[in-house]
Amino acid sequence: MDPKWSEDLPIYRQLRDRVVEMILEGVLGDGDALPSVRNVAAEYRLNPLTVLKGYQELVDEGLVEKKRGRGMFVNAGARKQLLKDERQRFLEKEWPAVLATIERLGLDAEQLTKEIKMPEETGGDDD
Amino acid sequence: MTSLVTARNVSKHFGDVRAVDDVSFEIEKGKIMGLIGPNGAGKTTLLKAVLGLTDCNGDLSVLGLDPFRQRKQMMQDICFIADVAVLPRWIRVYQLLEFVEATHPNFSRQRADELLKSTKIMSQSKVRELSKGMVTQLHLAIIMAIDAKLLVLDEPTLGLDIIFRKEFYANLLADYFDEERTILITTHQVEEIENLLTDIMFIDEGKILLEANMDSLPDSYTQLLTSGENVARARGFGPISESEMFGKTVMLFENISRENLEGLGELSTPAVADLFVAKVKGARS
Repeated sequence: MDPKWSEDLPIYRQLRDRVVEMILEGVLGDGDALPSVRNVAAEYRLNPLTVLKGYQELVDEGLVEKKRGRGMFVNAGARKQLLKDERQRFLEKEWPAVLATIERLGLDAEQLTKEIKMPEETGGDDD
Repeated sequence: MTSLVTARNVSKHFGDVRAVDDVSFEIEKGKIMGLIGPNGAGKTTLLKAVLGLTDCNGDLSVLGLDPFRQRKQMMQDICFIADVAVLPRWIRVYQLLEFVEATHPNFSRQRADELLKSTKIMSQSKVRELSKGMVTQLHLAIIMAIDAKLLVLDEPTLGLDIIFRKEFYANLLADYFDEERTILITTHQVEEIENLLTDIMFIDEGKILLEANMDSLPDSYTQLLTSGENVARARGFGPISESEMFGKTVMLFENISRENLEGLGELSTPAVADLFVAKVKGARS
């Protein structure tokens, strides 16, 4: 399968985002190995340096660890850290707009929660 | 960084025709350089000069050697796939492997056998019995079994279907390329290889129109999608190309900082194919 690369972001950044998504979705768990640079490069026909640059971003963010001669591995707690960051981002960037819409439409809390099933397992909620 | 290929003011004339016209460039170790040009641009002549198949004026050094005068020594560290399949049609696959084993010092028969195992190619088959895609697979397997410093590919996937083309590059990246190797590749199908290149060179009418690192393209080139009264303002920054699409105007800018264009429309980095068309049109007019 060929991914569709968007023209707005450099490919290494899109690769980084894809791995982040996989961690958030639990496809990649703590201690799991990332696919090798060579495999990703071959699969998507990318220059290996592009792949390496994307992986390096993850290392710099502390999400992934490089083990010499063995490859890249997801750090313990990576998902927890990402969830925290993503929740923070949602509350700061997206929630104010959603809230404004709710107020504009005159919806109240009861109406809003009626339709929602609250998740039983929220994952990494102990921070 | 060590420069593997260095060209200084290289020219090659055929009578009045300047096939290669005062060209200078460098290719460093560990790079994948794409040489892009329309038919008759001088690509093949330039490759021939690099491979020592033709004499030329100016200074050309490949792996520190003069390709024309020290060709035999140089070719021990170079591999080449030409755009025209050159394998003899009567030869059987195992005979071909025996031949290369006997004539090329850096060829690993074991490696070639391994690579062929993943294909449908039989060692008893004659080249004439193989499909076009299989001939290319065979060619690639032989090339990848040679421990070379420089690999030159001249339109390697021409005439192949999309599945073979993808497989060709996937194999190259999975089983061949590393930081010790360098690849020089020419193609018409830029879209297919632009993401695997580290460097790019445009050539037309014997001249180099652009030589750049792929990472630097977003700094130098910007595409703007604009409309209405912003068109005239954007035009003031001197786009290198302009075209209309669905009532919107697409402009390409060279060395105009994005801050200048901010607010005039949607900004992005142009695709290599679009950039190529703009550069060739610009140079010809």
